[in-house]
Amino acid sequence: MKPIDRRTFLCLSAAMLAQSGAAHAGLWPFQNDRHELSGEEDIRGTIFKNDAPKTLWKWHKEGFSYQKLEDRKVMCNICPNRCLLEPGDRSICRSKVNMDGTLYSLAYGNPCAVHLDPVEKKPLYHFKPQTTAFSIAATGCNFRCLNCQNWEISQAKPHEVRHEEMFPAEVVRKAREAGAASIAYTYSEATTYFEYMIDTARLARQAGINNLWISNGFINKEPLLELCKVINAANVNLKSFDDAIYRKLNGGRLQPVLNTFKTMNEQGVHFEMTTLVVPGYIDNEEMIKEMCGWIVTNLGPDHPLHFLRFFPNYKLTRLPPTPASTLDNFRKLAMAEGIRYVYLGNLPDHPGSNTYCHHCGQLLIERRGYRMPVNNLEGSLCKFCRTTIPGVWQ
Amino acid sequence: MPGKQENWRFSPIRSNTSANNSEKGVSRLVMSIGLSSVVMQLVLVREFLAQFQGNEFTISLIFFSWLILGGMGAWLALLAIRRRPASLSLLTRYSLLLAALAVIEVLSIRTLRDIIFLHGADVGFYPTMAAIFGLTAPFGLLNGFLVPYSLYVLRNQNPDYPGARIYMLDNVGDICGGMLFSFVLVLWLTPLQSIFVANLPLLVAATLIVAGRQQVRPAFLLSLAGAMGVLLIGLLLENKSLTPFEGRLIHYEESRYGRITVHQDRELLTIFVDGSPIFSNQNISQDEEAIHFPLSQIGDPHDILLIGAEGGMLQEVAKYRPARVDYLEIDRKLTDVQLRYKLLQPLPELHIIHRDGRAFLAGTDRRYDAIIINLPEPDTFQINRFFTGEFFRLAREHLRPDGVFSFRVAGFDNYLSDPARLKISSLFNTARLHFSHVLSLPGNKITFLCSDRPLNADIAALLKSKGIHTTYISSFFSGNITPERLKYLQDNLLADTPVNLDTSPFLLRIMFQQWFARFATSPLPFTVAGFILLLLYLCRSRREELVLFSTGFVIMGSETLVIFVYQILFGYVYEQIGLLVTVFLTGLLPGAWLGERLRRRRNFKKSLALCDTLIIMTLAMLLLALVTAHDRLQPGFFLLFGFAISLLCGCQFPLALTLGGGDNPAAARIFSSDLIGAACGTLITSLLFIPFLGIFWATAGLMLIKIFGMSALACGVRSKK
Repeated sequence: MKPIDRRTFLCLSAAMLAQSGAAHAGLWPFQNDRHELSGEEDIRGTIFKNDAPKTLWKWHKEGFSYQKLEDRKVMCNICPNRCLLEPGDRSICRSKVNMDGTLYSLAYGNPCAVHLDPVEKKPLYHFKPQTTAFSIAATGCNFRCLNCQNWEISQAKPHEVRHEEMFPAEVVRKAREAGAASIAYTYSEATTYFEYMIDTARLARQAGINNLWISNGFINKEPLLELCKVINAANVNLKSFDDAIYRKLNGGRLQPVLNTFKTMNEQGVHFEMTTLVVPGYIDNEEMIKEMCGWIVTNLGPDHPLHFLRFFPNYKLTRLPPTPASTLDNFRKLAMAEGIRYVYLGNLPDHPGSNTYCHHCGQLLIERRGYRMPVNNLEGSLCKFCRTTIPGVWQ
Repeated sequence: MPGKQENWRFSPIRSNTSANNSEKGVSRLVMSIGLSSVVMQLVLVREFLAQFQGNEFTISLIFFSWLILGGMGAWLALLAIRRRPASLSLLTRYSLLLAALAVIEVLSIRTLRDIIFLHGADVGFYPTMAAIFGLTAPFGLLNGFLVPYSLYVLRNQNPDYPGARIYMLDNVGDICGGMLFSFVLVLWLTPLQSIFVANLPLLVAATLIVAGRQQVRPAFLLSLAGAMGVLLIGLLLENKSLTPFEGRLIHYEESRYGRITVHQDRELLTIFVDGSPIFSNQNISQDEEAIHFPLSQIGDPHDILLIGAEGGMLQEVAKYRPARVDYLEIDRKLTDVQLRYKLLQPLPELHIIHRDGRAFLAGTDRRYDAIIINLPEPDTFQINRFFTGEFFRLAREHLRPDGVFSFRVAGFDNYLSDPARLKISSLFNTARLHFSHVLSLPGNKITFLCSDRPLNADIAALLKSKGIHTTYISSFFSGNITPERLKYLQDNLLADTPVNLDTSPFLLRIMFQQWFARFATSPLPFTVAGFILLLLYLCRSRREELVLFSTGFVIMGSETLVIFVYQILFGYVYEQIGLLVTVFLTGLLPGAWLGERLRRRRNFKKSLALCDTLIIMTLAMLLLALVTAHDRLQPGFFLLFGFAISLLCGCQFPLALTLGGGDNPAAARIFSSDLIGAACGTLITSLLFIPFLGIFWATAGLMLIKIFGMSALACGVRSKK
């Protein structure tokens, strides 16, 4: 073998050292907190071209709010997606179609999920506790959340699921029969079956039944103002306080959701907010502080905020659950920012699900799951200091 | 420097001694390539399973891509020598590149997974397929390229060098690699350490070839240093490349059964197996549901069997003060990790048994008051064995008269989708065949309780009457498992849904359907495109290629089938499965030797037809044995079958090569058709034959494939021009 010369030897040695050095110096490109590098930037949905059925089926209604445009195009005005549909197209939420220049909802009177749930399950902790909500859902969602619990109906078209026939009057009748205090529009995204929801809610209101809107809050102001006239309470998700995460994990945008909170606050609707704490994405303390600061400044301190523990679900199955202490920490942060009622969900028997008076700090309601073994409220007043506790208690 | 380059090629004017030395050197190199490639293949399976969904689709896609790429690589070798004669110098340098690529690919898989796809999210079928194919491509193509290229190098020196010999040498390397990985490397080393060890022979073989030359050029030394440097860097980056986004990695090890990592995020510890979170120390709702739903039904449970469990479950079991708790977990390393991080609280009455659950039950006379299954979803052949009628019968035989058997599968929150409905119905109908009473409880996970005594759905009331305190059930049960939701589930059960059997795993079909539904995709485009491509390939193939295509198909198909049946009958016993795989590889070698001898005779075409006939007869014997003596078959039968079928298939390679003319283009075609057939055999048997036809018809299907190959031979489909 021919001996190598000094230059070759030096080159080889340098190459070896550079390689080892690079490895040790942490030049490995994959470090913590780099989720912004990961995956698609934006998973927002798109219109389904030429996907409308040939003819309308029984469960349809003309769109509540839309514009007719030239060439028989229409623009749906229900949510900020503002789907511009040519004849034969289907909306992002999958529920609306353009049939020859008219916008129709195909989710009207055909709920695919109907259950009777405790109101605490929504979660609504400050609205008529220990009552039940007759809960319905038709298909569709204007988001694409990767951790959706109800993806089989939220990410489905109306004709792809089994459904019951239950037009608005029937919903109200069944809710009353079931002894429910409220009707909840929930599970999938209620905004996408707006026409069904608002017609049912109007009848329910006349019948003395409450209406609960459980939503991602991605709705335009005009339909929301109409909705606020008939709903009694809402739980709206504030999925994060970062538009990039909204686009990446949920296929939505942040600002329209913030606008929804402002509108509901102006309209005096009782609402509670929910944030699912997803490890690695929505567990940033600074973001949570900023979010809570915004809430206090823009909505005041009285709207309850729920932090929910994440469990792997749907497409987001390769993440661990949220540590209980992260949620605890967020609760403290939120309260330090000034939010008076902060709750922790998906943590059985945690004191974070109890209600404490914001004035005297006494335990007002002890919650054990859906049970309420301790209730120290008298009407809407704290039994101990007579402070009014925000909410709808009777 | 054309003159110098000439020195690096074999030339007929070389002395015989030098030529013999070179031949030995190339032979060593080919064996080393075989060894390195099999280790790499097995490492890749682990890497992809850890990064993507570990279902039967992913497993099949990995083998499919590997084999197809091998076939394409063989074609590339032929194209390469048409442009430039094969040279020893390029062979050695490409071999070094292969060693470096092994490390680069593993690190690429780990890095790119979370850059291309969202961290923490599952990936659908088509992106998974693209990722597996794309990431396997560099190594797979080069690996497929090198074996025929080695032959061309040798034929530069000796034009009569038999192609089958290269096949045999590669096979020797494959056997060594398979045994080294399965019985040594996987037990002691991490993937990148395994790659380091498995590629050392390749580096040595390449160096020995070059050292035998008159001078060693710096270019080779640079390549060698580069390859060695990359292998060493791999060792340094092992743990770093596994660091999670959230929390920190506090434990990592490889077991025979998969990759175990423990992540810590604040106080939360989560054990991940193959990239999926399996156990955590804060999962009280799952712990309570899994244990109290079945145990609350029993008056006084003394003996309890848990097949799979996490820490909190044992604490719940302890509330019943049982006399004995047997916890079955096949992976010793996993329970060690659970104990080490206190994710398993040991009880005095706890017996941890490291055996396959099915094998354990088949071999014990012990009876239990409760048998509780806590396993992942049945989306692989291995897990599906615990959800079949045959296993339910086995469980019933080991229950005391009032005992309860329970298992859980993913359920629903508010709507039971059609695939989920079929899955639940199939399981319900299967359980009803063996138990008088079956109760399904709705939830995010649906719990099935099976017994010969009446069952009570009001778990909260049962627990209250027993004075057992729970955190989750006592507070949430009434709102989650309401009479209305119980009725909803009951109303959605379909009486005519087929049952799930060992021999016909209906559930796997449904799991495939569910997976595709989750990603709103359909396997149809892939199936149609694959079918068209296959048809085009077959139409353009010559008879010897069709024979080898069917041979490759049959050997991989029967290996998949036999492993599936073996696990059903004898449980997943690592060493035995390893032995079975080795036998399938080992038979090829004497087969190729025999074929090499037969080809020298004039009537090699008849020999080829005889082999085809014998393969069909061997498959027919397997079918007959499965139909008539299914439960009574012994392990030795499957080993014998594996050896026989691989021997006959191995025998066909030299014969088909001779039929094709034996020249370089023929060798490339034959190598390719064997690999493409093997790729199709893996995919079609795993994803179509077994789940949709069941094992009997799957065996018949393999026979048909071979009959098709034999017909091509008999009908004289166009031969060598």
